[in-house]
This record gives sequence, C-alpha cells and structure tokens, in this order.
Amino acid sequence: MNPSGAMAVRNETAVPKRRRFSVTKGIVLLLLSLLVVTQVYPLLWLLLYSFKTNEEILSGSFFALPQSPQWINYTSALAGGRYLRYLWNSFSVTSITMISVIVLSSLAAFAISRFRWKYGQAVMLVFLIGMMIPLQATLLPLMIIFKNMQILNTHLSIIFPYIAFSTPISVFILNGFMKSIPHEIEESAIMDGASVFRVYRNIMLPISVPPIMTVCILTFINIWNEYILAATFISSESLKTLPFGVNSFVSQYSVNYGAIGAFLVLGALPVIVIYFLLADKITQGMVAGAVKG
Amino acid sequence: MNVLKVSRLTITLFVLPCLLIYSGMVFIPILVSLYSGLLDWNGIGESTFVGLENFKNLFFHDPVFWPSVRRTLMFAVFSMSEIPIALLVAILLRRFIKRPNFLVSSYFLPVILSVVIVGQLWKTIYNPASMGGMLNQVLIMAGLDSWARPWLTDPAVAMYALYFVALWQYLGYHTLIQFTGVSNIPNELYEAARIDGAEGFKADRHITFPLIVPIFKISIVLAFIGSLQAFDMVMVMTAGGPAHATDVISTHMYNMSFLSMKYGYGSSIAAFLVVVCLIATLIINLIFNSLEKRFS
Amino acid sequence: MVKKSKMLGLALSAALVFGLAACGGGAKETQGSSSNAGNSGTAAEVKAPDKKITITFQNIFPDPTDPKHQIMNKLVDKYESENPNIKIELDSLNTDQQKLKLKTQAASKEVPDITVVNPAAQMKPFVEANLFAPLNDMLDQNGLKDTFQEGLLDWYSFDGNIYALPDGNNIAVVYYNKELFEQGGVEVPTTFEEMLDVVKKLKEKGITPIAIGEKDSWTGSFLFMNMLLRTNGPGFLNDVLDNKKTFEDPAFLQAVDAFQSLVEAGAFQEGATSFDYNAGENLFKTGQSAMYFMGSWATGGIETSSVNGKVGVFKFPTIGGKGDPNEFMLAPGSAFAISADSKHLQETKDFLNYFMLNFPKEAFDAKGAVGIGQIVEGDFKAAGYSDMAMEVLDLFKEVKGGDLAFDNTMNPGTAQAHLSSIQNLFVQKKESSEVAKEHQTAYEANNK
Repeated sequence: MNPSGAMAVRNETAVPKRRRFSVTKGIVLLLLSLLVVTQVYPLLWLLLYSFKTNEEILSGSFFALPQSPQWINYTSALAGGRYLRYLWNSFSVTSITMISVIVLSSLAAFAISRFRWKYGQAVMLVFLIGMMIPLQATLLPLMIIFKNMQILNTHLSIIFPYIAFSTPISVFILNGFMKSIPHEIEESAIMDGASVFRVYRNIMLPISVPPIMTVCILTFINIWNEYILAATFISSESLKTLPFGVNSFVSQYSVNYGAIGAFLVLGALPVIVIYFLLADKITQGMVAGAVKG
Repeated sequence: MNVLKVSRLTITLFVLPCLLIYSGMVFIPILVSLYSGLLDWNGIGESTFVGLENFKNLFFHDPVFWPSVRRTLMFAVFSMSEIPIALLVAILLRRFIKRPNFLVSSYFLPVILSVVIVGQLWKTIYNPASMGGMLNQVLIMAGLDSWARPWLTDPAVAMYALYFVALWQYLGYHTLIQFTGVSNIPNELYEAARIDGAEGFKADRHITFPLIVPIFKISIVLAFIGSLQAFDMVMVMTAGGPAHATDVISTHMYNMSFLSMKYGYGSSIAAFLVVVCLIATLIINLIFNSLEKRFS
Repeated sequence: MVKKSKMLGLALSAALVFGLAACGGGAKETQGSSSNAGNSGTAAEVKAPDKKITITFQNIFPDPTDPKHQIMNKLVDKYESENPNIKIELDSLNTDQQKLKLKTQAASKEVPDITVVNPAAQMKPFVEANLFAPLNDMLDQNGLKDTFQEGLLDWYSFDGNIYALPDGNNIAVVYYNKELFEQGGVEVPTTFEEMLDVVKKLKEKGITPIAIGEKDSWTGSFLFMNMLLRTNGPGFLNDVLDNKKTFEDPAFLQAVDAFQSLVEAGAFQEGATSFDYNAGENLFKTGQSAMYFMGSWATGGIETSSVNGKVGVFKFPTIGGKGDPNEFMLAPGSAFAISADSKHLQETKDFLNYFMLNFPKEAFDAKGAVGIGQIVEGDFKAAGYSDMAMEVLDLFKEVKGGDLAFDNTMNPGTAQAHLSSIQNLFVQKKESSEVAKEHQTAYEANNK
C-alpha cells in the first residue's frame, strides 16, 4: 500500500539496476536534506534570536550565538500573564473559525458540485470574486457594518471576517474535489432511501477528509498570525490575540526585538508541537480518504 | 451532470449560511469599495462624487501604478513557476523516502513563522557586507566581489530579492499540497505501468501528471492569490522603497488610502484589483479545463 | 490494509474534529459567558448609585519595557484607585497600527474616548470632521495650561480651540561619538563644508560617518528639512502654501544639492534605505557610526546603550554661510485628543487633566523628562541625568524658532510624494531641478 513498500519490491526485482539507483537515491537524499536545512534553519535562528540583546540582533551577524542568554526576553514576553491569555484567545478564535469554515464551505461546495440547479456556477463565480480581495480594502466598510451590528470589540468582529475570507478558497478547493467523485455513490445511497443531508454527512464529508485537511491548514496559517483586522476591531486587553503580543514590543522610537523573538517562539511552539504530533495523522488522513471508489 | 435533484429549501439550507456570511463580510465591502472609488474622499471628512476621475488619474497620471501592477504580475509568475519544483520535490519524496511526513512537515515550517521574523532573517542575509550581510560576505569569499550589492536597496534587484524570499517561504506550502495529491495516486497504477514498461519519469508523464492536474490548479490559484495579496512581506522588508522601486498593488493601495489619505483613490486601486482577480480566475479556469480535457 | 488505514484515518480525523469542536465549544461558552458577564455588569452599573464608567484610552505605548508605558500604567492605576467608579481600558498599539486604526474608526465616527494624534497638518482632517472635543475648559482646570511650554499648544489649536495635549516637544540635534571623532582626527563642524570634510575623513578611516534609518523615510526628510531651514530660513513650506514661493526656489535647489553632496561623500551607511528607524539608530548606539541626526527624544535610548558617556551633541551647522544654527527642526510630539462623541466626555476630560498634570513629575523621576512638552520642576543634574542629557537640555535654551517636519506642514498626499522623492536621493543621483519639479507637481496635484 505505501509507496516505499512498492519501492522495496521494485528494488528486489530489478537487481541489475540497483547500483545506478542508489546513486540517484543518494543525490536525491542529499538534495532533500539540503532543503531541510534551508527550511528549518530559520527556526533555529529564531530560537537564538530570542536569547539575544537588541544590539546583537541588529548587528546582523548570521551565525553568532548570543553572548549571554537573555532570559529577560522571555520574562518580558510572559509579563502580566498576557501570553497565556493571548494564546487562549488565539486558540479559541482560530478553532471556532476553522470549524465554521469547514462546515459552511463543505455544505456550499456540496450544493454547488452535486445539486442539479441553475445557479450553481453563478454562486461559484460570486465566491471566486472574493478570493483575492486584499483585506485592507475592506477595513472601513467592515468597521461600519460591525458598528451597526454592535459587535465591535468582541471576538465575533474578527471571527466573522476570518470565516468570510477563508470560505472562498475553501469552497473552491472542496468544490474541485467533490466534482471528481463518481455520481454512482450518492445515486445508490439515494436509492437506498438516504436523505440529502445523510449523503452529505455520511458519504461526502468522510470522503473529503484530504481536502478538508488542506482547508484546515490554509485557514490556520492565514489567521494565526493575522494582525491588521484584530488590531482594528479589538480594543480590550482581555480579548487580544497572539499577534498583539508580538507587536506590543514595537513602540514609537524603539523595538524590543529580543522580546518579539521570545514571544514568537512561545507563540509558534504550541503550533509546531501540535503540528508534528499530528503530521503523520494529517497526511494519513489525507491519503486514506482519497482512495476513491 | 449533477444528479441530486433537491428542493429549493434544501439548496437554501446548504448554500445560504455560507453565502450570507461571505456576502456580508466580503462582497458588500467590495461593493462599498467600488463605490468609494468614485469619490474624492480623505476617509474622514466630507466626500465629493467625482465619477471616473480617480480611474483616469490611476491609469494615465500615476507614475507608480503601472510599475506596481507589473511587479505584482511578475510576483505571480515567479510564485507560480515554483509549483513544478514543488511537484518534483513531492514526487521525489514519494519515490525515495520511506517516511516522508517528517520532511514534508519540516519544509512547511517557514509558512508558520510570522513575517516579522522572516523579514528580519532575510535582512540579515541581504544586508551589505559591511553590515554583516551573509549573502554578500559569501559572494566576496567566493571571489565574486562584483556580484555583491545591497540587495534590498538597489532598485534594479530589490524586487527580485523579495520574490526570492516568497519563493523560499512558500516552497514547503506547495510541496505539502502537491504531496497530498501525489500520495493520493493509487500504487496499483504505477505497478500496472511498470508491467507495461513505464517507470520513473515516464510513468509520471502518463500517470502522475494527468492525475495531479486538479491539485496543481489549486496550487496555481493559491500562488496567484498569495502574490496579489503580498503585503506584509513587502512592508516588513522594504515598505515599497527605495522610492517605490518595490511597490506592489497592495502596498500602493495602502499607501494611498491610509498614508496619503486619499481613500477614494485607494478604493479605485482596490476596484482595479477585483477586476484583475476576476479575469485571472477566468483565465486559470479556462486553461485548466482544457488541460483536464486533454489528459482525461 | 487499505480499509484499515482508511478507518484509522477516519477515526483520527473524527477525533481531531471532535477535539477541535470541544475546544471551540468551550471557547464559545466562555466567550458567551464573559460577554454576558459584561452585559449584566453594565446592567447592574446603571442601577448602582455610582455607576461604573469605562474610558477607552488608545495609546502608542505598548512595550512594557518602555518607560512611557510604565508611567502610563502607574498613573492609570492610581487614578482608578482614587476613582473607583472609573475604569480605564488601555488599547495599546504600535504607532503604525494606531494610525490605521484611528483612521478607520474616524470614518465610522467610532473614535475612542482618548486617542493619539500628530500635530498641525496631520491632525487637521480629524478636527475638520469635528471628531475631537475642544479642551480649552479642561486646560483651565487646576492650571494645566500653564504647565505646557509657551507656544507649544499652538500646534494643536485650530480657530482658537485646543484639541490635543502633547506629551513631548523635541528639537533635532546631531549626536556624535567623541571616541570615533578622535580616531578620525576630526572636530565638531561649525559649517556644512566642514561637516563634509569630517565625513570624508571618517570615511577614509573606515568609520561610517552618519547612521540613518531611511526605510522609515521621514528620517531622511527630517534631515533634509533641517538643511532647507539653513538655506532658506524658517517658513519655506508656509511660503509655498501662501503662494509666495514654489519648490523651484533657489533655496530649495541649494538644499537638494547640499543633501546630495552628503550622499555622494558616502556619509550614510551602505543600504541605508533598508534600515528601519531602529536598525539605523542601533548603528550609532553600538559605536558603528560617528554621527546620528535625530530628534532629542533619542537621548534616552542612547543613554541606555553601550556608547553612553562617549556621546556629545551639536547643532546642525550653517550651509554656505547661510542660516542660524539656533533655529532648529521643531518636533512637537504626538498628543492626546478626546473624542467629541465620547459618552463620558466630562469624566474623560477629568482623567486626562489628572494624567497630564502628573505626567511631568513621573517622567522626571523615570529619567524620561528630556524633550517632554511641559515645564519640569527639579534639578536634572542632581537627579542623575547624564552629561549628554544636560547638553541637550542646554540646547533647548538656545532655540530661536525653526520649522516643523514636512508632514506636519503639508497635507498627507504631498508629504508622501516628498518622502519618496527624498528617499530616492539615497539610491539615485538627480538634478536638483528635477527634484524640485517632482515636489511642485505633487504639491499642485494635491492642493487643487
């Protein structure tokens, strides 16, 4: 089943080719590991960075170790318990958004891709228009809308736009995937007397796990570090999210880079840990769901 | 042809919630922006209706606008051109690595990092050698002194320096997406192809490429969107400078709407962006529809 | 096998979704309950005899390690304990974000009770839109008005009403590193020509002459405007606004040429336009550059850096024998304004009155009183202020007027064009007449 298994089989049967193959493999391995270095190094760099003084950071030497680790960066980042509060806020905003995006966009994508109705393509087009809107262009209108809805300075005022900005691409991805599923599946289900909603829940959703995972990841990276909307619509300290923490070390005439680094490490740590813990399962989910038929 | 015949109520129930929140938060603001594009308005005080005046200035009298459009499109081209590379990496991962998940995840890391950090990191790489810039120091050590330059402040190369950072940051992102697609191709297909004598890239030509087209499209669209919206990275690295040499559409719009306080004018840029998006989406769809037809 | 991994995948994803749903649900609940609590709180407040009032205080001091942040928090805490019915909600944002937020809020008339604005031309659109409350009556309370330096409040006044109260009032000076000057064998220049010479000599010794953070393009503009102040004398931009002069005036051309001669002499560090304010200042603070042209607010930062004790200040010299060194670039600081639509206008005014009355003393104690906008009682020397700070304070006494920064005088559209035009001089040599023309075109396009 798994690709490497197939590799092994192939290698055993193709004995004469084996040698040439391992040279190729060596080169490939080298390339891929080189990529690991260039892609993972920033994380290490960030870690070093978070222990440096401003002067060390700005002096710009690339490989230097901090002269003496600046734990004070972490104390400043943790000061006042803001980190935990921000982390919790970010976490709840992000998870509510992700769940809503998945539910809403999968429903819509299901309707667009599987229902027989006139306006499916028109609705899709409406979604496509919004896919590439820079959010700076929507700040002013949103402010007025939220003022009238009286949800300024609540989490709703960022969750709504986060959901709305994530749905177009999610509908696009899910629609693309659902279109490719053979029609026989739901035909037989309907014949057996299943309702449309049951087809959605018991057949479509489970099959669509891989694109849903993709949607989750996209949504997550788009909103976890989002600052402009949050800073504009949230004013209360108790509602602020992680990016506020990062940006709180930037003041008019000074930037506390070390503390920013420390805050970023603290902010990225839970994400990376969760991601690596789940990485196998996420990709497995993706692969498992996609074996069609 | 879609097969599910359902009542209007069902359609409404499925589509309306999503459509409602989307229209309220994205579509209506876009319409408001389109309208604001017709105003002479500083964003705070009184506004006057000026019709297409803003668009006329934008298209014919704004020395920054067209270059910024060109840079944005170049940004898109560069971003899209890395997707084949991501696909190659994904194929290599599937073919040569037993447990590819760790590698895929590692490649993905730069995307999670905040742009503040990515910007700071690349500045220390791009700085002039006298300021400890790594790239220039390496070039000088390698005897390529003439290649060394202040990468972010030389108007001739600054934009390319920015493209490269985006390529680096999003390589893992596209690799992850492509890898999902590649892993989804059943092994039986490759085995069957091997029996028919197709192996390695020959097999890819007949199996991987046709089956990956939909996923490839997703990556292309994402890359395109990402580059049209590229804002944070440019702001952190150069803020559009020196003297607009690295301005893209979104930074120009921000600059006009909020720094120059010409909100109406900024909105006309946003309106232009909406139209570009629409056209681009249609073109991408056309290309891929014909691709899908050819391969299937 | 296919089936098994599929099942596993499903189970896991189900678990994942469930887990997230649980978290999400939890979050929703807490959020709901907290907003409920808020609502019931306000409901109770209305009934209670001394109703609790919340004042939103938008500010630009988010960094907990910044002395101003500490002063603000201290005063707020004190005020809250003295006035138990008042709650001050601090919305601390970095400068760029605060500007963006305020503009967005202003468009929908949602200005917070207290906010921060910049003087003169930069706050004018807000005042014209009637967003701020006049503070004249409040300034008369407790003699607050007399604590401000003479003439300072004029920058925040329109039609006889004062709309904002500044926390700072600075002048532009040249900081220099005495040790590096000695190494370069140079003296403090008294004319621009000497300054060019100093630059060349330092450059020969491999010392970066002047540090600048030109990614934030106002830094270069600030320096350029000081040169214009020398070649023309004060009031050039106002003359342009009054149609008495154009940007093609010889004094402007001379200033551009002088500025370009600095760039050509290699006065600034390589790649200056990619250095933001902090990175630029840091070069000076780590002893990597000999001079630094900046507003006197930089004093505090330099005092806490590694070059402390080696730094002196001098006035920007004359150019071609023109100009008076005692005329400075003036930088009246960002200022607190009160929303005209504030639901608790009186309470907000009372708080700001208290805040500003106590600000000078707190700033003095926190060693942050160099360049504040109010008159400070106290012996700086005895309080342990550094020699450099004393030098800066002495310069303040010699001020005989000057000019405001470009963006405080011209409207934002013209200012942005100017900033980018000056930034361009760092990377490209241009005819001064061309630079003048860029300015004039932008000015005319933005002042129809």
